[in-house]
Amino acid sequence: MASADKFSRLAALRPVNGMAPREVRTSAPAPALDEHESELARLIGASVARTKFGTHLSVSNWHSTPELPDISAAALDLLCNHGDAVRCRKWRAAAENPEKWLFLDTETTGLAGGTGTYAFLVGIGWWDAGGLQVEQLVMRDFSDEYSLLTELAARIAERPVLVTFNGKSFDWPLLESRYLMTRTIRVPQLAAHLDLLHPARAVWKLRLGSVRLVELERHVLDAPRLGWTREDDVPSSQIPQFYFDYLRGGPATPLAGVVRHNRMDLRGLAALFGKLNSLLGTPHHPDGEGLDLFGLSRYLQRRGQAGRAESACAAARDRGLPEPVDAQALYQLARMAKRRKEFARAAELFTELLEDPQFCAAACEELAIFQQSRNKDPRKALEFARRGLREARRRNPGAMLRTGRTAEFSRMARLEKRIARLEARLAPVDAPLLNRVREAAR
Amino acid sequence: MAESLAVRRANILERQPEAKRGSAIERVQSVLQGFAERDPEGEVLTAVRRFPARAAVHADWPDWVTPRLRDAYVAKGIARPYSHQALAAEAVHGGRNVVIVTPTASGKTLCYNLPVLDAILKNDDTRALYLFPTKALAQDQLAELYDLNQRLERGDGAAQSFGVFTYDGDTPSDARRAIRERGHVVLTNPDMLHTGILPHHTKWTRLFENLQYIVMDELHTYRGVFGSHLANVLRRLKRIAKFYGSNPRFVCCSATIANPGELAERLIEDEVDVLSANGAPAGEKTFVFYNPPAVNRALGIRRSYINESSRVAQEFLKNDLQTMVFANSRLHTEILLTYLQQANPQFPGTPETIRGYRGGYLPRERREIERGLRDGRIRGVVSTSALELGIDVGSLDATVMAGYPGTIAATWQRAGRAGRRSGSSCAVMVASSAPLDQFIVRHPDYFFGNTPEHAFIQPDNLEILVNHLKCAAFELPIAPEDRFGDVDVQDLCARLAEAGYLHRVAGHYHWTQEAYPADAVSLRAVTSDNFIIIDVTGQPDVIGEVDFPSALTTVHEKAIYLHGGEQYHVEHLDFKERKAYVKKVDVDYYTDAVRHTQVRVLEIAAQEPSSVAHPAIPALKAHGDVLVRSQVVGFKKIKFFTNENIGDGRLELPENEMHTTSYWLTLERELVAALPFTISERQSGMFGLLHAMASVATLLLMCDGRDLGTAIGERPPKPGAEGEEFRVVTLEEARNAVNKEFFEPNLYLYDAYPGGIGFSEPLFRAHELLLAKTRELIAGCGCDAGCPSCVGPAGDLATRAKEAALLILERLGA
Repeated sequence: MASADKFSRLAALRPVNGMAPREVRTSAPAPALDEHESELARLIGASVARTKFGTHLSVSNWHSTPELPDISAAALDLLCNHGDAVRCRKWRAAAENPEKWLFLDTETTGLAGGTGTYAFLVGIGWWDAGGLQVEQLVMRDFSDEYSLLTELAARIAERPVLVTFNGKSFDWPLLESRYLMTRTIRVPQLAAHLDLLHPARAVWKLRLGSVRLVELERHVLDAPRLGWTREDDVPSSQIPQFYFDYLRGGPATPLAGVVRHNRMDLRGLAALFGKLNSLLGTPHHPDGEGLDLFGLSRYLQRRGQAGRAESACAAARDRGLPEPVDAQALYQLARMAKRRKEFARAAELFTELLEDPQFCAAACEELAIFQQSRNKDPRKALEFARRGLREARRRNPGAMLRTGRTAEFSRMARLEKRIARLEARLAPVDAPLLNRVREAAR
Repeated sequence: MAESLAVRRANILERQPEAKRGSAIERVQSVLQGFAERDPEGEVLTAVRRFPARAAVHADWPDWVTPRLRDAYVAKGIARPYSHQALAAEAVHGGRNVVIVTPTASGKTLCYNLPVLDAILKNDDTRALYLFPTKALAQDQLAELYDLNQRLERGDGAAQSFGVFTYDGDTPSDARRAIRERGHVVLTNPDMLHTGILPHHTKWTRLFENLQYIVMDELHTYRGVFGSHLANVLRRLKRIAKFYGSNPRFVCCSATIANPGELAERLIEDEVDVLSANGAPAGEKTFVFYNPPAVNRALGIRRSYINESSRVAQEFLKNDLQTMVFANSRLHTEILLTYLQQANPQFPGTPETIRGYRGGYLPRERREIERGLRDGRIRGVVSTSALELGIDVGSLDATVMAGYPGTIAATWQRAGRAGRRSGSSCAVMVASSAPLDQFIVRHPDYFFGNTPEHAFIQPDNLEILVNHLKCAAFELPIAPEDRFGDVDVQDLCARLAEAGYLHRVAGHYHWTQEAYPADAVSLRAVTSDNFIIIDVTGQPDVIGEVDFPSALTTVHEKAIYLHGGEQYHVEHLDFKERKAYVKKVDVDYYTDAVRHTQVRVLEIAAQEPSSVAHPAIPALKAHGDVLVRSQVVGFKKIKFFTNENIGDGRLELPENEMHTTSYWLTLERELVAALPFTISERQSGMFGLLHAMASVATLLLMCDGRDLGTAIGERPPKPGAEGEEFRVVTLEEARNAVNKEFFEPNLYLYDAYPGGIGFSEPLFRAHELLLAKTRELIAGCGCDAGCPSCVGPAGDLATRAKEAALLILERLGA
């Protein structure tokens, strides 16, 4: 009795939340596995693929949409712009040939990462016959993993340029980890890895809030027009549980839904490339929402394309931006002008910003600098500096108590110094005395 | 027990002839003399021990040491190693697992750095993992290794040196990749290893493929729950190392405890050489026990030890002696700091020369304080245990400990902060009125003799083991041949599969959960079943958590919960959601839960006569598996300072059942019946005896009072039988339990963690020592009829409780 009690009371053995312990005792007769597996294969239209490490399921489908777009060199330049110059060049050269591209998206047993998370479904796709060829590799259980990974390695060797959505921080490191865990199959070498998450987030986050692939499909890729529907799509959060259920002899139908979901994601990914290709590739932006263009401008700026960033920013303002973002765009334009050493133009734009409550203090500081060092008018400079400090204090009373170390706080410190310097210069006799008095008071 | 005045005077006055007038040593002596003169009875200074200076014993550099490395050490000012360093380095170099036992400041880091760095310089692929119990210690070690590295780089033109990094929660994510690739030596802590490294071992392939050494410093801190977890973390680590084809050796360093070898072998589950020689020099040191004067002897009330500590520290500071004060809680740190700063006002505008130091201060502030201490700008520092271990702050003149740090090992470590290596120094331990403090301060030989402190762990505690088995399955599927401690791994895996955690394919168990199991396992608790405490005074704010067993007694409704020195009233306990809602209050009482505990013996592992020499004494000792059922039935409101009971309340909380292990003492009928007391006096005597035994047990086991539970129950006719029926009791019944007569009572000391944490069997073995020390504790207490320092507060027990407890001990032959 004692030992039975021991186990039943263990908190660590308590069944997982929300999951009724299933009657799949190891000692109980195993469900007819072959039947179970063939049901899955039938539902998803898969065949059994064989490698030297065993077997796994494989599903092939060809889709007429999306179509292979005209690949823009400028877009590739941007997408390959990662890390050091040597790697950029290597990636750029490898990406030149779209026949070497492999779109990739995985479905996994969790999002936490680490060595206990498996990619039980790996979807890959490539341009073929003007459309997209999709192949999906599925593990019926964990013993299929080596076979699946071997197959995937062969596919990557044929097409070593990976195109993913968030694959750089999720799918690929996870797969690398899976390869390392085999201790036998080498990690495939990539010639380049184009991840679309960052440009997509930069461009559409402002407008859409969320840049999940499903959202992008609906709002950016115009999915309904392509005739794509996500009706009956499985919710992403349930995918791991569907797989675990299937492993324990549960129904194959939900898992078939996951395979469909993965295929949709791969098509979405390829279509997203097309959209980014045109957006990043064209110097002028005849269409597109103001917010998207402003996002694009920020992305271009981060990637070191100041000229294009500026024109996108100006185009964004022409197209019309909501109030606070417009001020932000104006501020960016002013700073870009300043960086180009067009000081008068920059001053003009900063003056426009004086009306904006959010940017007034920053603009004042810039104008004080301009008046002092370009226009050689210390009085005006002092005026702006004082106004800037007043504004900054008004907007950020907490900083007076030294409670935060915000950018605003350091701006105030800079302005205080500038005011002191200017005052000293404008009142040469009194200022030192004043300063000493201040010093003493402190 | 206390030493005679003459001895103490002689100890104080004996001084080195060459000591200059006004030197630090003279000033120390004069302060001590001042104390002694105010205490002619010897009640306050219960011990003054002088430890003479010890000369260094050197050895030659082992001949295998790479000359460049030797040169780097020589350039650091280490011309030759101490004898024990050479010995230890030799053993590590020879591929042995070792545990090095040496006091503070004996240069133990060289013992492991020398062979490890030598191996790295000879083979660039070599990797080592250093584990420290705290982040601060790893930082300190990092500085030492950087320094060596720089000297190596300067050594010859070739810039071959080694990469050393800390890897913890503060490591920026962009730096992590470099650490994984280039870190020859990675410094981390068990928690980070558990949640950050092992579950991501594929990112650490270089490390695991070449892992040759694992260094574990401050080994004695890995005991009880923490140690039991660590043993399992190491099981996981070794499984992963094996997967990558490496078989690391272990180098452990421990403070002085009674069983360092046993602890190390339990932790790493392999043979270990124990090296305990010490060739390091030491300066002269005076160690003083200070017991605050009694205010009310009968009730055992003494002057506040916090005030007394502040007074002692002020004496040192007044004599311009650089002083470190240790407090046992953050709150006391702040109080002492305030007292000392008020007593030493600064000129306005000059930097404060007395500073506080504790967790919660910013790293930069801490570094600044450490520097200030080294260069002498800061004259006094008040710290929690944060400064107890290894942080280099140079040598101070005096340490004052406000309260016994809890273990002998920690006390020596704190004392070691004064007078590292050379010069003369003084350490004063000011006792609080807690039983442990009072026992130590009245029994100096117990402290200064061979240490009786044992560190125990129980890696096969099922709850802990199963949690780590989950983590292990996440890291690598569990193969049929995998071993994990002494349990039947396959059986446990089958159970985990049934519960939905694992799935078996081709004989291997794979992890089948979305969650990341290491996140749910804290190395500091047995279960992760915690209550969150939410302060709803203003904006709701989570202020802390308590584990399930403590929650019932500390955050029941209407309890006063103390946190960070603030009092909170518990407004509502949401048992289902595991949340307690509290509001800040300012009241003059605290609450004490009335708990009714029943123990049922499930299985007796061993049972023997209580006394080996006199087996006829009608009493038995035993240990085994028990089921503990406890129920909080009410609470008392106790007034601060006077400890008056000013009211009580009834509570209806669910019962809590726990399967654990216990040690117990059975008093047979013959012994009980022969006690010349009334029933209630007898009963009180037993409760008092158990109270004192629990105090002494925490001392022997280096554990916290909360780690052991106590209960008295009727001896069951046979194991597993209903000795007494479990039943729900009322507050009144619980309160009157003391008056109910036991026929043949069992006095239980059980592990307060589900599954047990390894205390019961050691207590069984140490039974006679436990009784002897318990007798010393009670007999040595100056109170009349019981006080919190011995058998428990007088008010709760019958008048002759202390007498009865002593007589029972005498009859037991203790």
